[in-house]
Amino acid sequence: MPFTKKLQKFNATIRTVEVGTGDKTTKLGGGNTLPFYTFDAPTANTAKIGIEISDLGLAHEPDCIKEVYAGCETVADMAKKAITIEGVDFLCLKLEGGDPNGENRPVEELVAVAKEVADAVDFPIVVEGCKNVEKDAELLSKVAEALQGKNVLLMSAKEENYKNIGAAAGLAYNQLVGAESAVDINLAKQLNVLLKQLGVDSGKVVMNVGSSAAGYGFDYLISTLDRVKAAALGQNDDSLLMPIITPVASETWSVKESTATEEDMPEWGSVVERAIDMEIETAVACLACGTDAVILKHPTSIATVSKMISALS
Amino acid sequence: MYKVTFKFESGEGITAFAASGENLLEVARKTNVAIDAPCSGNAACGKCRVKLLSGELNSQKTRHITDEEYAAGWRLACVSKVEADVEVMVPDIASAYKGRMKAADLSSPAEVKIFTEAKEQLEAAGISLKNSLELIRVSMEAPTLDDTMPDVERIERAVAAATGVSRVRIPYSVLKSLPDKLREADFKVQCIIRRTAKNIFVYDLFPMDVKVRAGGLVVDIGTTTVSALIIDMLNGDILAKATTGNGQIRYGADVINRIIESRKEGGQKKLQDAVINETINPLIHTMCRTCGMKPAWIYRMCVGANTTMNHLLVGVNAEPLRTEPYIPAFFKTNAVFANDLGIDINQDAHIIIAPNIGSYVGGDITAGTLVSMIWNRPEYSVFIDLGTNGEIVFGNSDFLMSCACSAGPAFEGGDISCGMRATDGAIEACSIDAKTMEPTFSVIGDEGEKPVGLCGSGIIDVISELFRCGIISPKGKFVREGERIRHDKYGMGSYVLAFKEQAGSVKDVEITEVDIDNFIRAKGAIFSAIQTLLTSLDFDVSMVDDVYVAGGIGSGINMKNAVGIGMLPDIPLEKFHYIGNSSLSGAYAMLLSGEAERKVYELAQSMTYLELSTTPGYMDEFVAACFIPHTDSSLFPSVNQEF
Repeated sequence: MPFTKKLQKFNATIRTVEVGTGDKTTKLGGGNTLPFYTFDAPTANTAKIGIEISDLGLAHEPDCIKEVYAGCETVADMAKKAITIEGVDFLCLKLEGGDPNGENRPVEELVAVAKEVADAVDFPIVVEGCKNVEKDAELLSKVAEALQGKNVLLMSAKEENYKNIGAAAGLAYNQLVGAESAVDINLAKQLNVLLKQLGVDSGKVVMNVGSSAAGYGFDYLISTLDRVKAAALGQNDDSLLMPIITPVASETWSVKESTATEEDMPEWGSVVERAIDMEIETAVACLACGTDAVILKHPTSIATVSKMISALS
Repeated sequence: MYKVTFKFESGEGITAFAASGENLLEVARKTNVAIDAPCSGNAACGKCRVKLLSGELNSQKTRHITDEEYAAGWRLACVSKVEADVEVMVPDIASAYKGRMKAADLSSPAEVKIFTEAKEQLEAAGISLKNSLELIRVSMEAPTLDDTMPDVERIERAVAAATGVSRVRIPYSVLKSLPDKLREADFKVQCIIRRTAKNIFVYDLFPMDVKVRAGGLVVDIGTTTVSALIIDMLNGDILAKATTGNGQIRYGADVINRIIESRKEGGQKKLQDAVINETINPLIHTMCRTCGMKPAWIYRMCVGANTTMNHLLVGVNAEPLRTEPYIPAFFKTNAVFANDLGIDINQDAHIIIAPNIGSYVGGDITAGTLVSMIWNRPEYSVFIDLGTNGEIVFGNSDFLMSCACSAGPAFEGGDISCGMRATDGAIEACSIDAKTMEPTFSVIGDEGEKPVGLCGSGIIDVISELFRCGIISPKGKFVREGERIRHDKYGMGSYVLAFKEQAGSVKDVEITEVDIDNFIRAKGAIFSAIQTLLTSLDFDVSMVDDVYVAGGIGSGINMKNAVGIGMLPDIPLEKFHYIGNSSLSGAYAMLLSGEAERKVYELAQSMTYLELSTTPGYMDEFVAACFIPHTDSSLFPSVNQEF
């Protein structure tokens, strides 16, 4: 008896969100199959990879990252270098220096860095805040204003500050809004509903449903990714049809597997390899569970994940 | 040691001594000064305010007290340490939990309606309203030198002859005064007896010419509120009804805190005293005065209460209820008499306790299920008791399932900054103009009563209206600005229902984002429990024919608004029925009718208990329900925002 392939068809399609302008854009989402189920339908847009750089430059980075950006003097230089790396689809500028519990750099200074980077490269840009909800409310709103016309994705609006960021990015300056929730399908949905009620076009929202490194509560994250995708496609749930972006590097590069020195942990082997492995493993698992874009840091990780995406899409 | 003086608004005062650094709330508790502390002194609720009159207190500042109030001397007792002699004023609002004990006006048909209805429905279901108490008249020959039978044997024979039951029990309380009573009445007496299949128990003797009343006591012990009735056991008439706050409140607002408190040294006794000596006995005396009854003429008592309250009432260790695997000491007990507990009624009176069916589904629910009559109909019904614990029963004449969720004290006004029980001054209903954002409300009490706070039904209305008018987001945060919307320096928003000039209190009556958040969690707990219970049976809300809502949340909750905030399922409003305090009416039925009592035992045995804490998916349902009306708006098609 011949084998008849049974296709799993969904009535829903994840919205496509285009980051950037002109011919240098990248498309997130757009799929109507489970991740990499190319046998059900051809892949609309392949999963995307962003490269993360920080406003703090290289001072806090491990040596293996410093090597990548050798010779770069400014953050703009790093940006120029970053976008040349093979497999990179967008640039992610993380303004972590704004954290009031860290460097506490003033908003104007950070906006200037963002402006400098945006002017230096003609490439899709994602801007991440400093994770402090009050500071981000102001910071990301100002960045949205400063980068008008660049169609950047601002991450992230959370339940506590979605009004400021959503209003600035989504309404006033016509940018894209990242909606960040804490590893719970209902909370993700609730934030999307709130943004919609604020007037933000759901077609301009990308979700970050949480992030973690493999082994660090990761099962919660991937089951959330899984459920969000299943609910979006299976139930055509309008408030979950946004593409998902998952910051990976910011999680994996700080766990002990990536930081413990070889002197302390000789049996674990090379610290560089470990850090890259953590980044790859985390990213791949997220992609397999429904993430439409991951943010990474090391060229080797980017090359490996990129190879996997093209092999499976 | 320092001297601490508590002054009351009435002018009286109590002085106590405290060690340096001792917590003021603790000192108040030890001195038996009632300060409301629903959060058990965690500085979470802001209810334990006192005003510093003289001396010093080392008090932390919290967000519950504004700078102006702090300057005026207001402090939270729970974060204040005694470090010098001090005099504080305990405001009436703080002791408001004790409430003015409220005796109901039985001439109002609304007060007795639920009881008459319960009686009628039970009779229609074929349950006879007969109980085991009877009044019989016996005439004996007076003893002579030829007829030398002693008094006890004489009356035993006479009662046996009159009833046809040979075994007659005369308790010590009757024996003690038997010779006098018989001779005063010339050996012709009326007896209050209890008849069982095996024997007759004689409670009391009266001369023939006295009008005898055989009283019965019904008590609903809620975690927050206690209600009681005195009834005539012979005809079922309600002679008196009264309500008060549960005296245990100062030991914590919910059952968990009470259990913890009961495990402290002497705690079990303190909690038992608080409910019996400070709550039930005063209720009995108040009611006896209003109906001209003697407490000793009450021969039987029935209690409807949750499992924890039942344990604390009878003085049994409740700790196993709280810790895994959550085992109560009893579901049903027949072993308790009035003199065991020190309840001021006839000392031989039997105390019937409506049976528990789980550690968190108690006798209040089994009794309530009886009068909800859902066990007698083929249609699928949901019975919901809204209280500090929310309990849900679902089923019909073929099966019954139940579960309990912790809603917290929000429905009874606890954990809400301006929350209060449904007594004078409480806003019980409210509507808001979508354009001007001006509220219109009704206040419990006499005409012109000024608002002091909000009771459960008022809170439901306010939140539903705030949402409908687009003043708050589905998360309960303020999204519109106006004269009545304020933000404190921490950014927390609030809506002012009555500015202090119009309020009957020292401050504005308002609802804050924290209050709304607490309430959203309470309503989320209820809706997710309903949803989980139905889903566990592969039902959904569209298959529900009727919903019976019980609880002392206010004389009538606005079902449309309860649906509007996503507390109750979005089904046609005519399917909802408010049945009042069903724990009280259920206990009333059990007291009045032996068959009803047996029916409740039968229901308790046949009800399946679903433990939500171990049900996968409940947490998920809960988070989804913590949104107005719900994260899945397709569950609430009729709910719309107008602005």
